Amino acid sequence: MTRPAALQRLLAATGGSLHRQLLLWLLLPQLVLWGAAAAFTFNVAERYAVAGIDASLAQATRSLARQVKPIGNGLFIDLPRAAQDIIEADPDDRVQYMVSTPPGHFILGNRQLPQPPAPATRGTPRLNEPSFYDAALDGQPLRVAALYVPIGEPGVDDERRLMLVQIARSRASRDELARRILRDTALPLSGVIVLMTMIVWAGIRAGLAPLARLRALVENRAPNDLAPIELQAAPEEVRALAGAVNQLLGAVQESVAAQRRFISNAAHQLRTPLAGLKSQTEIALQANSDPQLAARLARVHESAVRSAHLVNQLLTLTRAEPEAAGALPRELLDLRALVQEVTAEHVPRALQAGIDLGMDDPPEGASALRVRGASLLLREAVANLIDNAIRYAGRGAEVTVSVREEGGLSVVEVADNGPGVPDPAQRDAVFSRFVRATSEGPGCGLGLAIVREIAERHGGRAELQPVSPQGLRARLLLPPPTRPGTTPT
Amino acid sequence: MRLLLAEDDALLSDALVAQLGQAGFAVEHAPNGAVAEYLLARHDFDAAVLDIGLPMVDGLTVLKRARDAKPALPVLVLTALDKLDDRVAGLNAGADDYLTKPFDFPELEARLRALLRRTRPVIAGASAGGGPSPEMGRLVFEREARRASVDGQTIELSPREWELLDLLLTQRNKVVHKDQITAAWGPGGEAPGMIEVYIHRLRRKLEGSGLAIRTVRGLGYLLEAAA
Repeated sequence: MTRPAALQRLLAATGGSLHRQLLLWLLLPQLVLWGAAAAFTFNVAERYAVAGIDASLAQATRSLARQVKPIGNGLFIDLPRAAQDIIEADPDDRVQYMVSTPPGHFILGNRQLPQPPAPATRGTPRLNEPSFYDAALDGQPLRVAALYVPIGEPGVDDERRLMLVQIARSRASRDELARRILRDTALPLSGVIVLMTMIVWAGIRAGLAPLARLRALVENRAPNDLAPIELQAAPEEVRALAGAVNQLLGAVQESVAAQRRFISNAAHQLRTPLAGLKSQTEIALQANSDPQLAARLARVHESAVRSAHLVNQLLTLTRAEPEAAGALPRELLDLRALVQEVTAEHVPRALQAGIDLGMDDPPEGASALRVRGASLLLREAVANLIDNAIRYAGRGAEVTVSVREEGGLSVVEVADNGPGVPDPAQRDAVFSRFVRATSEGPGCGLGLAIVREIAERHGGRAELQPVSPQGLRARLLLPPPTRPGTTPT
Repeated sequence: MRLLLAEDDALLSDALVAQLGQAGFAVEHAPNGAVAEYLLARHDFDAAVLDIGLPMVDGLTVLKRARDAKPALPVLVLTALDKLDDRVAGLNAGADDYLTKPFDFPELEARLRALLRRTRPVIAGASAGGGPSPEMGRLVFEREARRASVDGQTIELSPREWELLDLLLTQRNKVVHKDQITAAWGPGGEAPGMIEVYIHRLRRKLEGSGLAIRTVRGLGYLLEAAA
């Protein structure tokens, strides 16, 4: 069913906002109805006011008619001067009157009082029945009641014996009354409308608040946080929406997990053939005496080693991502002891590469630095930092690993005096996956990306700093341990 | 020395058979778990290298059964998986050591020899053919006889020095932490401050042996081939 064009335009005018739409739907009809009600009320009130005034005018005409009695061939007008004065005295509410018999032939009152409108005089006017009409006198609007009264014997000389009694009253008072009625009804009604508007507006706001809360919850999400959204005390419709979103998140989570499992499995599967490749190449190198072939075989071997390294790094990276990392147990660790172990493991390799690898002594009287985290991941992070130093500092360089506290954070620092990374932009860029600062050597560009991921899983960060005159400081900063159950993801 | 290699990947097992053969081992190859079990039951081996992911009967099962039958057999487990749980599972099932693929052959060999040294109290570092091995320089270290000699000449070592040298040799090319030294010396041992003194003495006694003790800053000491 297509919506009417007008509705479309209306929706467009509200800019598609639910808030505005609701306001429009609720307030516009209300305002229209208010207007109609006000007009109707005014109309009704005015009619009754007019009817009231007309009734009093009618009564006045009858009273006045009774004061004029036929005597013989003349008329006896029993209207004392005092009464006339009273009638004519009120300055605010001028009452005009005229008695004429035959009708139009002035006898008493205000000669200038306009005659009843022509239709009333055409033919035989109704007798003893007052008629009402609006007229003006000296620019003043008047309401006139006109009463045709027969005088004398009925049925004899009708024209001569007809008396017209007219009483006129300024319409100003009627208009004033109408205005007062309008004011007294419209004003409270307006107040009601204003109150209703405020209540409606507040109601809409309260009603839509859960939507705003849901939006805030979603907006404040970290990009790779796929846990379900918890929405408390929300109305059915919003809960349904949140539920649908959570379902979607769940599906995405499952898809991401499946992908991760696949990558993990694939990497594991790659390892055995790579091991075979490596071993075969090693044997071939040993048995071979042809120097050219030896050079080629060496390249093949290098490639195999590189591939193996890449596979390992890929696996570590998948293990460092939020979903997988969240499944690892977190424990309270002695950071210095952990770093010591990892550094000691790397010493033989460092010596082979001609690197002097060692550790800084802890400052005097320093207490053990503790962190809460996954031992496996933190070891990998430190190992990657040391590995980088061994690879890139160059033969003869000195690499020192230190563990200390800095401004409340626990810092693991691997400092070398090798060529370093002089360009600050590059020092930032190398944390991205597959970005290397150099194309020499068999690195794969994942080491620092791994360190950064692991740092983030522990609520910390990783950074590179230059050393003068030359060298690089690779730092892993970790927050102090929090209460169990409040670990970062 | 007889070694059983249970590995299903043809490429890798072919290479390993050749490399282990060259290192002086007599290698029997089993391409799957069933053959591995059969061979283990039929013959006596000095050590076994077992791949976890074996067809027919998987490596862990073979390991468990072998453990029951031959508790003294040193077993080194090879695997493509390196999750912590797998490592723990392997060690719990009775493996003596664990190596992830791909590995460096020298590492495999070194670990195998370390396993064998534990079970066979012969001249440390001796290869299958006997005599000092290249990594030992010119030092001959007879643990049972408590005799150390270089080029036939005996080196006089105090009990502490002997324990220190033994530890360094066992952890050859690996960093030995001061805590390890203190632990090796046992209760009633010297104060940690004395370690430097003993290292100094040992260094002098090892001059000309082709071995040197390196000080690793902040970490400990390491015995390596002299430059």
